[in-house]
Amino acid sequence: MKRILLALSIVGMVLGVSLGAAAEQGVTDTEIHIGQWGPQTGPAAPWGSVARGADAYFKMINAEGGINGRKIVYHMFDDGYNPAKTKAGVKELQENIGMFAYTGGVGTACGLSVLDYLMDRKIPWVGPSAGSLDWIHPPHKYLFAVYPLYYIEAKALCRYAIKNLGKKRVAIAYQNDDYGKNGVKGAEEELASNGLKLVAEVPVEKSDTDMKSHVMKLKNAKADVVLLWVTPIHAVRIVGTGRALRFAPQWMSTSTCSDFPLMYTISKGLWGGVIATTFGELPDSDNPLMMKYKKEAFDKFAAKGERWGVFYTAGITFAEPLIEGIKRCGRDLTRERLVKEMEGIRNFKGIGGRISYAPFDVSKPYECRQGMKEVYLVKCLKGGEYEKLSDWMEIR
Amino acid sequence: MIGFLQAVTSGIAVGSSYALMGLAMVIIYKTSEVVNFAQGEMALLSCFLTYMVLEFYGFSFLAAFAGALAFAAFLGGFLEFAVLRRAKEPNVLGMIIITIGLEMILMGIVSWKFGADPKTMSFPISPYDSVAIGEVFVSSLEVLTFIVALTVMAVLFLFLRYSKLGVAMKATQQNSMAARLMGIRTNRILMITWGISSVVGCLAGLLISPITMQPYMMWDPMLKGFAAAVMGGMTSLPGSVFGAYLIGIIENLFGSYVSIEFKSVVAFAIIVLVLCIKPSGLFARHYVKKV
Repeated sequence: MKRILLALSIVGMVLGVSLGAAAEQGVTDTEIHIGQWGPQTGPAAPWGSVARGADAYFKMINAEGGINGRKIVYHMFDDGYNPAKTKAGVKELQENIGMFAYTGGVGTACGLSVLDYLMDRKIPWVGPSAGSLDWIHPPHKYLFAVYPLYYIEAKALCRYAIKNLGKKRVAIAYQNDDYGKNGVKGAEEELASNGLKLVAEVPVEKSDTDMKSHVMKLKNAKADVVLLWVTPIHAVRIVGTGRALRFAPQWMSTSTCSDFPLMYTISKGLWGGVIATTFGELPDSDNPLMMKYKKEAFDKFAAKGERWGVFYTAGITFAEPLIEGIKRCGRDLTRERLVKEMEGIRNFKGIGGRISYAPFDVSKPYECRQGMKEVYLVKCLKGGEYEKLSDWMEIR
Repeated sequence: MIGFLQAVTSGIAVGSSYALMGLAMVIIYKTSEVVNFAQGEMALLSCFLTYMVLEFYGFSFLAAFAGALAFAAFLGGFLEFAVLRRAKEPNVLGMIIITIGLEMILMGIVSWKFGADPKTMSFPISPYDSVAIGEVFVSSLEVLTFIVALTVMAVLFLFLRYSKLGVAMKATQQNSMAARLMGIRTNRILMITWGISSVVGCLAGLLISPITMQPYMMWDPMLKGFAAAVMGGMTSLPGSVFGAYLIGIIENLFGSYVSIEFKSVVAFAIIVLVLCIKPSGLFARHYVKKV
């Protein structure tokens, strides 16, 4: 009898252990835990709607019955665009609750602060909300970038300025961190291939509020195109200070400042005429999927006072491939399986540009881990309306 | 040369809002020796309420701005009465910590009520139109801020020197026990001081709001105003204004000719320097308390 009991308990232990190994952190029979950080306060707060857009999207999926019998439990927190807080918050989420994966997460510096933490623990992270080269150089097995590179955006803008507008004197005002420097790199390369150079590179600190010295440097360089690789508030201040100092180049900016209705309002109309890159369907688009999200996610689940703007929809764009990957896993949802399924995604079309990944290959970071590779240009018209200046452009 | 003149002019322009914040901090410090870190956020709340009545309730500018100043006076007095006066065994350090707490609470209220999207306040004068003095440009709003700052300084200076209330305020600072014995209601004086200081801060805020408004907007002007006040000796009104313009000009010259990356920290380097060389500030008549 004793022997039988012993045998049974050994069998039980073995089974228990194997069952434990099969269950993935952050996944139960009925739930999938997904995390995200994003600034809800502080200078980068306008980008905070990325995290809230994903929230409405997940609620819509849950309302439709979830994914393969599991509902998404979404955890987002405010890091105030402060990398130290991002790290503390992610550790807390991971060690107290345990996320299966992360999506979005605004900020290059914020993301970099948790990159090693997530990758060491083999936690998938899809669609960091920043178009930084750091995500794919070097590539990481568990990190799937979606946001087209700022570097590519800078190239697209410079190409347009030179080829279509006939400009020669390009300058850049950039945030003095990886976000800004990615823009500088792209602009430098594109200009070099046309035998040109940046006429001024002006660093902007996040804490700067007075932009006169910055604008004077741009003005003294006689720039006729100025790229703004800064936060929306700094961008408005630079354009406004330019106006006061009678300096009127063609202003160009990244997708991060492409929320034209907002930019137009807070600049008191000065944002009119600014050209920016963007990588998603515009808020007033008649794309069927956009209209569905507007009706089923935004109208039903957005908080009162929320705006259907480009950052809000970007939150959905970043989360779409993760959801596609989870769907493809079926009931067998593990991190390894998710990575395998994500790698199989080719020309996936949500509300952004086409997204493709490939099996992990260190020598081909751009192909295997940079999902979206195309952008297009828009111009801000009166009242913050959009004018499409180009089709989707894929730039290497 | 034009570049140099533009940098100096820009420095004076930006110095005006530092000057207003510096004045606001000096008034409170003069009577209670408390550095009020909630100064910026007190103004912030008044400004966002002004924005609200202007945008959503269709108030006229005159009514909204008058209301804002009245509210600011009330808020200052109320915080002194309801929070600072309640402190048990008050000492200066404890009071300063209380103001830091107030700062966080007020910012929290504004972030919660008005959300994160930046805003801009409509204003009779566009912040982006400018006046040209030869080849040098300065925005009309900055000209207005400059005039307001100098006027406020002059009015406060005269008020503290010649009015009865002003003299009572000085007396309260110098020896509150003696002041009380002479029949001055020192508690009430403190409350009024907070009210006046809050109004001056609110003026600074209202002149910043036409550019962009967000919950963090007063932090930098407050710190720079504080730096200016320290430079001026914390008790001198003209000193803090002079300090503010000096900081504005040095910042802009530094940004133009030395390093734009370290432009925004140069103010704090100046504080350290001043505190090392002349700890009582550039303008303070050294006041030694007799034991």
